[in-house]
Amino acid sequence: MLKTNLSILAVVIGCLAVFTWVANAIPQLQSDVPEDLVLSDDVTPAELIAAGEELYNGGGGCTACHGLGERAPNLLTDHAGTGLIGERCANRVPGEDCKQYLHTSMVDPNAYLVEGFAPIMLDASRTLSSVQIWAIVAYLQSLGGEVTVTGADFADDGGAAPAGGVVASAPAAPVLGPTGPLDPEELLTRYTCATCHAISGPSPLGPSYEGMGSRLTADEIRTSILDPTASAAENFEAMLGIMPPIFGNIPAAELEAIVQFIASQR
Amino acid sequence: MFPGVDKTSERNVPKPGMTWRSGAGPILLLGALALLVMAEPAFAQVPAGRDYGDFPVIGGRAAVWIAAQVHLLFAAFVLGVPMFAVVTEAIGMFGGDERYDKLSKEFTRLLLVAYSATAIWGGILLFLLVTIYPTLFSYLAQIFNLSMWIYVGLFFFESFTLYLYYYGWDRWKKGRAKWFHWGLGIALNVWGTIVMFIANGWLTYMMSPPADVTVDTAPQMIQLWTALTNATWMPINIHRLIANVVFGGAVVGAYAAYRFLAAKSDEERAHYDWMGYVGNMIAIGALIVLPFAGYWLGREIYEFNQQMGITMMGGFMSWLWIIQAFLIGILFLAGNYYLWVGMGRIPGAERFMPYTKYMLAVLIVGVIVWATPNTMIASREEFAAMGGTHHPFLSVLGLMSGKNTAVNFMILTTFLSFLLYRRANKEPVVPWARTGTIVQGAIFIIASAVVLFYGIYGYRVPTIVRIGFSVYQVLTVLACIIGVITIDLLMLRGATSRGTIRWGRMPARSQYALFILAVTFTWLMGLMGFARSGIRQHWHVFEVIRDTSPWAATPALGYSSVVISACVLIFFGLVAFIFWLGSLAEKPVISSAGRTSAAGGIQSDLQPAPSEG
Repeated sequence: MLKTNLSILAVVIGCLAVFTWVANAIPQLQSDVPEDLVLSDDVTPAELIAAGEELYNGGGGCTACHGLGERAPNLLTDHAGTGLIGERCANRVPGEDCKQYLHTSMVDPNAYLVEGFAPIMLDASRTLSSVQIWAIVAYLQSLGGEVTVTGADFADDGGAAPAGGVVASAPAAPVLGPTGPLDPEELLTRYTCATCHAISGPSPLGPSYEGMGSRLTADEIRTSILDPTASAAENFEAMLGIMPPIFGNIPAAELEAIVQFIASQR
Repeated sequence: MFPGVDKTSERNVPKPGMTWRSGAGPILLLGALALLVMAEPAFAQVPAGRDYGDFPVIGGRAAVWIAAQVHLLFAAFVLGVPMFAVVTEAIGMFGGDERYDKLSKEFTRLLLVAYSATAIWGGILLFLLVTIYPTLFSYLAQIFNLSMWIYVGLFFFESFTLYLYYYGWDRWKKGRAKWFHWGLGIALNVWGTIVMFIANGWLTYMMSPPADVTVDTAPQMIQLWTALTNATWMPINIHRLIANVVFGGAVVGAYAAYRFLAAKSDEERAHYDWMGYVGNMIAIGALIVLPFAGYWLGREIYEFNQQMGITMMGGFMSWLWIIQAFLIGILFLAGNYYLWVGMGRIPGAERFMPYTKYMLAVLIVGVIVWATPNTMIASREEFAAMGGTHHPFLSVLGLMSGKNTAVNFMILTTFLSFLLYRRANKEPVVPWARTGTIVQGAIFIIASAVVLFYGIYGYRVPTIVRIGFSVYQVLTVLACIIGVITIDLLMLRGATSRGTIRWGRMPARSQYALFILAVTFTWLMGLMGFARSGIRQHWHVFEVIRDTSPWAATPALGYSSVVISACVLIFFGLVAFIFWLGSLAEKPVISSAGRTSAAGGIQSDLQPAPSEG
């Protein structure tokens, strides 16, 4: 019986050893916490690039989608023959240089949605500080282009250095709640609602907000935002399914501001 | 309070006169008693700046992780086994075959000792939570206090129903009393299921809190029902219900394998051979259904938050699914191997044996395809070394179309193994038997063709369309299983036997397959538990309560695998100890043949079941 017991023990230990070995043999990826980033106002491009690269590959969570070319444009090598991101960024939007384009793409990701991709990215400023975002911009610029991000960009962006010239980022805690009076129209733009729904007049794709408050209650509007596939507005049945069910992620206070604004459109 | 949400702390501090007395614990009576003692200091007066405690050597997170995982493994066992215990009892009742009744009682006997282990680990988990994550626990207790009280009450009912169910087995054995007894078994399942649903509400809230809950939301303002019934609650409930049956079947199979290897008489060996077969059939049968529930859960996670879904499937966890494919490949291979070896004890099975090599080939190809990496996170250097973002050849197999097709073929193959095993010693007597067999074959061929068609067509359509094809493949396989089994049941009514199954005539190596199944299932549960919890990343409650502890970063798979292996080792070590303790209580009895066996009154009249298949 001792032999049997030892055989069973060997099978159990052997299985565990194999599973543990396999799990250790694959690439080891840890999901880092976005750390606070402190940079001086005379930060060098090399420091910015290093910080940006660390964030890009770590706590920033960028690699979940970018770099693969399936869920989001490939930012690491080439995308559809247009070259590295540092090369192509300046040519994406007329009138916007590389730095502006990349920054806008991070804080307002649906502004310049690359053709063929769904609007799945959320505003990076929800989880990253201003300094962190600029560091990632610098890193992306360095991939085939010239780094033009400087310490002045942090100051311009509200990350002004305290006396002593040190630029300290805000804690990486997300800003999920309102920090001041909410502007519903600005929210409609920020969350790209206005891309499909006009505030007044004819709409590009979905029903206009004009008069919507006389047709729907605030509860119905809220439900339609949180679950866009639940029902379709009259004459827009064919559009059912186009609106993505991603707006449940926006802060409740902002959602409420949007709902009340739409409900007031009579 | 949590540094990341400072502004909420003031609002969340209970005001005089409304101190939260969330005294009841979430796990068990023991926990409840502990909290009655600790409630005030723990919840109302958390010292400023003490959001996290620590634990020697392994750290606070690993301590809670191990306690939670081991508790969950025991809990899954004590929730899964009653489900099929009550079914086997019903088979014995309605089919008039007393062997099933005895088997059901033996299943239940395993529960008694496992129950106390569940409670002890629940208590350990609770104390660790209260001492290591006091602020988080306080937050959750303020939302879920009522459900915690109900939970403890139900746990009480569940325990005593179990005692009545087991100890009343022989007293309530006949007539109406037997119905009452069976009703106790059903009640046991009802209590257990509700208990699990409640606990699932707590953990899924942390994963997918309602959209209107933000860092500004005071916990006492959150409605309990809304918090419980969050986006991933029901998918997790269903997934765990099925997974518990799989797990329970696998552990019962391992127990039977051990008893088989230790058996001292042919009767005993025959009984535990049969028990191992039933355990394996339950485990693999439920495993076949499990991917469908997993698919629903994954879909709901994507619906809740696209980025969370991407983190899970394509983010830092992408390699986890390769490990999962590897493990499930082992399960399919070991499960089928056990069946094929088992055919050696069935007269008439020889005619099917030549097909097993083809089935093995399908399974191996399926595992290889399923385990092919595709959209992996890689560095720029790794992409350059690979020559692009995807492997030039293998990435084709790694796409969802290829993987879904592979897994559906593996399910169909395993189902075919069961079917052949089931029919091995039976000779249908109905006049339409040949037609029936042809129809069954046609259903298999059509199902395979449909799965293959959508698998190939999936490469020609956009991703969003391709994902939808998996539903058609899944429904086709389900329809095939239901259709073929229905025909089989009708066709084999009154079937003659080609010979009695020679229970107990199994080589020892087959029993080791059952151990591999149990260990692999258990490890897989640990891995998927890590996946479910890890996709929250550095959040206690996703995008509401941030984890600011030293262990906030979600660890890589290597470290996680060590913790998971430790949990599995602890679990099986305790299970072995508990079962050994149980065997000490068994009294030697003289069997009908006059031989002595350690049977606890069960094995004395054991007979192999005649032709279960």
